[in-house]
Amino acid sequence: MSSRMIGVSQHLDAISIATGKATAWLTLLMVIVTFVIVVLRYVFGVGFIWLQESVIWMHACVFMLGAAYTLQQDEHVRVDVFYRGMNERRRAWVNIIGVAIFVFPLCGYLFVESLDYVSRSWSFKEISRDTGGLPYPAIPLLKSILLVMPLTVSLQGLSLMLQSISSLRRS
Amino acid sequence: MEWVAFLLFFAVIGMLLAGFPVAFSLGGTALLFATAGVFGGGFEVAFLSGLPSRIFGIMSNETLVAVPLFVFMGITLERAQIAEDLLDTLSALFGRLRGGLGIAVTLVGMLLAASTGIVGATVVTMGLLSLPTMLKRGYSPEIASGTICASGTLGQIIPPSIILVMLGDVMSSAYQQAQLQQGIFSPKTVSVGDLFAGALIPGLLLVLLYMLYLFIVAIVKPSAMPARPDDGEKVSFARLIAAIAPPMILIFAVLGSILKGLATPTEAAGVGAAGAMLLALQRRSLSFARLQDIMRGTLRISSMVFLILIGASVFSLVFRGYGGDDGVRTLLDNLPGGVFAAVLVVMLLMFVLGFVLDFIEITFVVVPIVAPVLLAMGLDPVWLGIMIAINLQTSFLTPPFGFALFYLRGVAPPSVSTAQIYRGVIPFVAIQLLMLVILTLFPRLVTWLPEQIYGG
Repeated sequence: MSSRMIGVSQHLDAISIATGKATAWLTLLMVIVTFVIVVLRYVFGVGFIWLQESVIWMHACVFMLGAAYTLQQDEHVRVDVFYRGMNERRRAWVNIIGVAIFVFPLCGYLFVESLDYVSRSWSFKEISRDTGGLPYPAIPLLKSILLVMPLTVSLQGLSLMLQSISSLRRS
Repeated sequence: MEWVAFLLFFAVIGMLLAGFPVAFSLGGTALLFATAGVFGGGFEVAFLSGLPSRIFGIMSNETLVAVPLFVFMGITLERAQIAEDLLDTLSALFGRLRGGLGIAVTLVGMLLAASTGIVGATVVTMGLLSLPTMLKRGYSPEIASGTICASGTLGQIIPPSIILVMLGDVMSSAYQQAQLQQGIFSPKTVSVGDLFAGALIPGLLLVLLYMLYLFIVAIVKPSAMPARPDDGEKVSFARLIAAIAPPMILIFAVLGSILKGLATPTEAAGVGAAGAMLLALQRRSLSFARLQDIMRGTLRISSMVFLILIGASVFSLVFRGYGGDDGVRTLLDNLPGGVFAAVLVVMLLMFVLGFVLDFIEITFVVVPIVAPVLLAMGLDPVWLGIMIAINLQTSFLTPPFGFALFYLRGVAPPSVSTAQIYRGVIPFVAIQLLMLVILTLFPRLVTWLPEQIYGG
């Protein structure tokens, strides 16, 4: 049973890691595009609104789609005044309870509340408020991230929970 | 029902201490309170239904795009080992003077603060590089660790600082809110650039005060910071330039273009990050593996920061839903002693919270609650922002809970006792407090430069 839990957890981790590593490329792209925008503006005197918008939206993708990977890497900052001194069992309990009462409800609520918000954007064929912004499916697509983020983060939360449970069983 | 809001605030602090990631604890606790209130009465569910559009607002926030770009620049410079070169060169240059090494470390801290600005990383890097050298040269462990901790936290206050970008964003909406409440419908604005300009003079003054203190110690108690015996090592002018020029050029280009109004902080950060990559390439310290390392590090820090912001939004929706905003306003408005007392209380609260919470949490959770009230009392937003920044920097230096002390403890050799680190940092805490007093007496030190640059 425990090894099965570990197996599931590893599969979930692999998904988060792959998403995170792929999304990380956007940070480099953000740097390059911002640099290009500056050169275009100050050297050639031209500017494109869609190019500027693309940096904002890349940034949105970075932190929303990278959230699960960050959780997997345990890089979501903790207040570790007490956590630092806890043994493995205590830490496992903190993580199990935290996922159960914080991560799952939060992600669940955000997902349900966003369903309507996102589907309205698709049905209205929402476009950028600025003329010259990114073309049609961009905004609804970005709003759909509001559904993807809670989904990926709760999967990673599940993985953390399974890992913690099996570490409790081992000890 | 505002007592529930205050209960929520303390429940969140309690929950955070358990050690589960801040982003989820913040939002999760608030959501539990909201659920209880929906079923038990006292909370309108409508307050929470704006959550998706609020998060989408964070996703489309233009100001905060500067954060990942500055992080990218900082990590790249850190990996390019600029700190090592700077320390080597400056300590060789100043080392033969009494107290010279201490001064060198402070200067390096200042340069790193301006270029990388990641506090934990700066304290750790300097702790690893300069603490062993200082001890070997016979510096007292107190002086050595105090100097490293203090100059390592300069990154919060010396622009361009990531913290000031976040604080600028929060302050600008707090300022709008405060003015709307006063019935001003064409409100004045405050920008990240204003905060950068406002932080420059106080930041440099802090560096000066640090150096003045070291100078005095070197005279009064020469045995605490001895000079290096003359071993004939000469620092050529070319070597000095080679070490100092790259970070200096980058800092001046980034900061200069923001302060001169040529570029937005986001644009400047993007150019800075590109510049840092070129610099790393030229120093042959940018491999493909390291590039991936930098990208992933940037992603993790951004995601950490922005998920806290999302968690804090859930918190503030619930806090407001229970009438907490009004409660805080009533409380601060009715303090005997007026504006001064209100600022003092808020500063003390933040100082204490700084023992358990990081700058990010305080900026996103506490500042949006208290800043609109304080600004409505007529305070200058730039002044308030800089006071908050220096106050928190002080909090991170104060034993026994200061974050900077933990970072240094983590890399200090066992021969340096924790008590020595605490004793060493106390004079610097005093300097910080002195700085807060100075800025209270002479607020022009903060507001003068932004007015010169952007016009009053």
